Amino acid sequence: MAGVRISGLHKHFAGVHAVRGIDLDIPDGEFTVLVGPSGCGKSTLLRTIAGLEDADAGTIEIGEQVVNAVRPRDRDVAMVFQDYALYPHMTVFGNISLSLRARGRPKAEIEARVRRVADLLGIVNLLGRYPRQLSGGQRQRVAIGRAIVRNPRVFLFDEPLSNLDAQLRDEMRSEIKRLHQDIATTMIYVTHDQIEAMTLADRIVLMRDGWIEQEGAPLDLYEQPATMFVAGFLGSPQMNFLRGRLLCSGEGAVVRFGEGETALALPPARRRPNMGDGAEVIVGLRPEHARRAAGTEPTPGAARIEATIELLQPTGSRSYATFRLAGQPVLAELQAHDVSRPGERIPIDLDLRRAAIFDPQSGKAL
Amino acid sequence: MAEAATRLLRGRPSAAVPRILCIGLFVIFVLVPLYWMVITSIKPTSDYLAIPPVWFPAEPTIVHYTAALFSYRGLDGLINSLVIASASTVLSTVLGTLMAYSMARFNTGGEHLAFWVLSQRFLPPVATALPLFLMFRSWHLYDTHVGLIIVYTVMTLPLSVWMMYAYFRQLPRSLEDAALVDGLSRWQALWMVAVPLAVPGIVAAAVFVFVAVWTEFFFALVLTSRHAFTLPTVFRAFLGFQGAQYGEACALATTSLVPSIVLGILVQRHLVRGLTLGALRG
Amino acid sequence: MTQYIGSGRVAPALDRRRQATLSAFAERHFRWLIALPAVGLILALSVYPLLFSLWVNFVNYDFDIPGHDFVGLQNFADVVSDPNARSALLVTALLSVVNVAIEFVLGLALALALIKTFRGRTLVMSILIVPLFISPVIVGQSWALFLERPFGPADYLLGEILGHPVTVSWLTESPWYYLSIIIADIWQWTPFMFVVLLAGLAAIPPHLYEVAELDALSARMTFLYITVPQLAPVILLAITFRLLDAVRLFDVIFMMTGGGPGAATYTVSYYLYQVGFQQFHLGVATAGSWIFLILLSIVIWVLVRRLLRAEKS
Repeated sequence: MAGVRISGLHKHFAGVHAVRGIDLDIPDGEFTVLVGPSGCGKSTLLRTIAGLEDADAGTIEIGEQVVNAVRPRDRDVAMVFQDYALYPHMTVFGNISLSLRARGRPKAEIEARVRRVADLLGIVNLLGRYPRQLSGGQRQRVAIGRAIVRNPRVFLFDEPLSNLDAQLRDEMRSEIKRLHQDIATTMIYVTHDQIEAMTLADRIVLMRDGWIEQEGAPLDLYEQPATMFVAGFLGSPQMNFLRGRLLCSGEGAVVRFGEGETALALPPARRRPNMGDGAEVIVGLRPEHARRAAGTEPTPGAARIEATIELLQPTGSRSYATFRLAGQPVLAELQAHDVSRPGERIPIDLDLRRAAIFDPQSGKAL
Repeated sequence: MAEAATRLLRGRPSAAVPRILCIGLFVIFVLVPLYWMVITSIKPTSDYLAIPPVWFPAEPTIVHYTAALFSYRGLDGLINSLVIASASTVLSTVLGTLMAYSMARFNTGGEHLAFWVLSQRFLPPVATALPLFLMFRSWHLYDTHVGLIIVYTVMTLPLSVWMMYAYFRQLPRSLEDAALVDGLSRWQALWMVAVPLAVPGIVAAAVFVFVAVWTEFFFALVLTSRHAFTLPTVFRAFLGFQGAQYGEACALATTSLVPSIVLGILVQRHLVRGLTLGALRG
Repeated sequence: MTQYIGSGRVAPALDRRRQATLSAFAERHFRWLIALPAVGLILALSVYPLLFSLWVNFVNYDFDIPGHDFVGLQNFADVVSDPNARSALLVTALLSVVNVAIEFVLGLALALALIKTFRGRTLVMSILIVPLFISPVIVGQSWALFLERPFGPADYLLGEILGHPVTVSWLTESPWYYLSIIIADIWQWTPFMFVVLLAGLAAIPPHLYEVAELDALSARMTFLYITVPQLAPVILLAITFRLLDAVRLFDVIFMMTGGGPGAATYTVSYYLYQVGFQQFHLGVATAGSWIFLILLSIVIWVLVRRLLRAEKS
């Protein structure tokens, strides 16, 4: 078990500056997810930690040891690949035990360790089969088993669930989470799926174009996004982004949308010193913070508006309704029966206490 | 893939030396006899038997080339080869592409037809040369260009069929399907959609067929005489080397080599497909 | 297109219908129609001649003896009893196996050496594939010239390298003539093995090697457990193709040794050439070629069938 520390890491890859000066400190035993759109450098970063790629600049430390010059085989890390990378001509037992055989462990010990791992992953009955006889989910379990049996200091996962169908992915996600609780080893997990990131991570590292856009606990990133990119990436359906103009008067502030027909009062708590009067802003509001109004008065901090529902998308437990605010489309998360059909006009409370305010030029939160 | 291998061999500098040695030795092995042959073609006769051997003549000459081409009818052989190889290439490629399309898109003849065509590739020439020799004499095809052309077409059909078969199989059908839905006949879909898309494969197949015919010896030896003889058969005249025609022999060889090698280098990218008849993509 | 019957034209409607039925026919039977020319040509110039030669097997066909009388199995007996035929078969079998084996080993070594990119790799590849495009007669001639004294520099070079004079008659001295043929053959065909095996190596998923690296597998284990099993189908393909070509050895024999000295370097093809086209005992030669074909067919059946199966999976 060991923590991982990255300092000032740079990596050029196929002519692209894939990793631009990353600093990352991962404490021992933590589950860190590197997430971001494709091309953001997360896989490159992971492979550099494994030693499969060389860093161009910066240091990588595993357990207080600088490993830049250490060969992958000596770094004591294990990796699970997206395409499982199982040895096709060996049984499951052979696949899992190969690394132990390579290190010359005694046969009895190998047997015991493989069985223990197989038990943990529920694949004991598959030990005699070949990879081609297994389903995708089973193969991925074997790949994970192969990684676990070595007791490495760090586990690396490179988009392991991307090849699985949705239902299987949910199942495997829980398994991996449980695994981390059982083994409590440092895990670094790469994915482009924000749901995986949110559910699995102790800490999310959201990457973009080679640098870290924001890192922290999942809920922190969700509720306090540092930039529009972070706000838009996490959360499904995506946050609503509305253009408006901020007008301040004394203690209060109002955001005016469009030609002035709609103006919403900003709760005093959301007011920040760097918000200038007359500034163009983008208001970010998640669909779950636009609810059907209840009661005669809007909830404190919320603004009430009348909305004509244009589009209705029921999912069973809730319905997503689209309406317009000064011409801009807004997606609201309503209860299943709040609206029966498009065209209806209902009152909606927008909880502006939860809104994020962004500067349109920089994309940063204000 | 080579990148991954590069990474992983990084930490083993000791592996570099045997590698370089292996490559270097084989490159020398390939180049030396070729070099000797080419240099002999421009050596004056007096240098032939010199000891130590002359690696670069003080007075190079082209007299062997003129002798080979004209006194030994090398030029006639060259022209015949050109004509016959070109015609065979066209025929073989066209017929082969048609058949390959049928097999790839409609699974015509299934596994059995495919196997039968493939096994033709491994038929030793001597087996068909004997009866063809007899048949051609009675059909007046002996020592004719036409005779050789059709023999070579058949000889290279397995090559062009299988190369194009593999090629068509990995060409998505959707464009042809779209054409059919738009009202084109199958024939039109073939010529106006599939074939234009398959041009790189067709060109590669054509080059392999051409080289196969250009270098073929046995059928030419047996089925031609003074009229339709091809370039490889001309080398018979130099056997025995009693009259010391080393220079002429090498001059003709060098002449024959050039188009072969140029074509070979051009089609390098498709080399594995050609050599394995499309079984491997390379 | 209109048809003229007598002095007038056929009514256009009728003509169009005829055209329609023709193109409908063509459309329905498209797949057979386009395959027909190729199949027809193969039937005419490959199958038919073989059937014809089947008849020739059992008759007298000889430029010395007129007539085509039925002779039963005499042709076959003549072949089987000919010591040259037996030695040709032996020489062919031995040379083929040795050639293919050496080509495989060298080819694999080269492929392993060149799988890694390095500066100048493209140039090296271009040089290495040149022998594949050269006419085998030229290869034979080229090596004959290089090896044979007094013209070839081979003995001189060897003498310089080894430190003492070398006087080997590469084309006429036993057992050096076998070695000469082997050298010429591997010179030309090792690149075949090399290219095919290289393609096979390149197709191995890189993640397998990466996992092996992280698992700290030794180079030996990586080679045995990953490289070889993954390469197995390609190896089968390469050896099948090469072996079935190697048994036809003719051009190099023709140019280098002429089958000699005596009949020491007769291969099957060269023997049949001698009997059929030099001595014109065509019936006997045909019988010999059929024996050869049958032996070869067994090998083809086994190897090619297995190849096709492997390609399916």
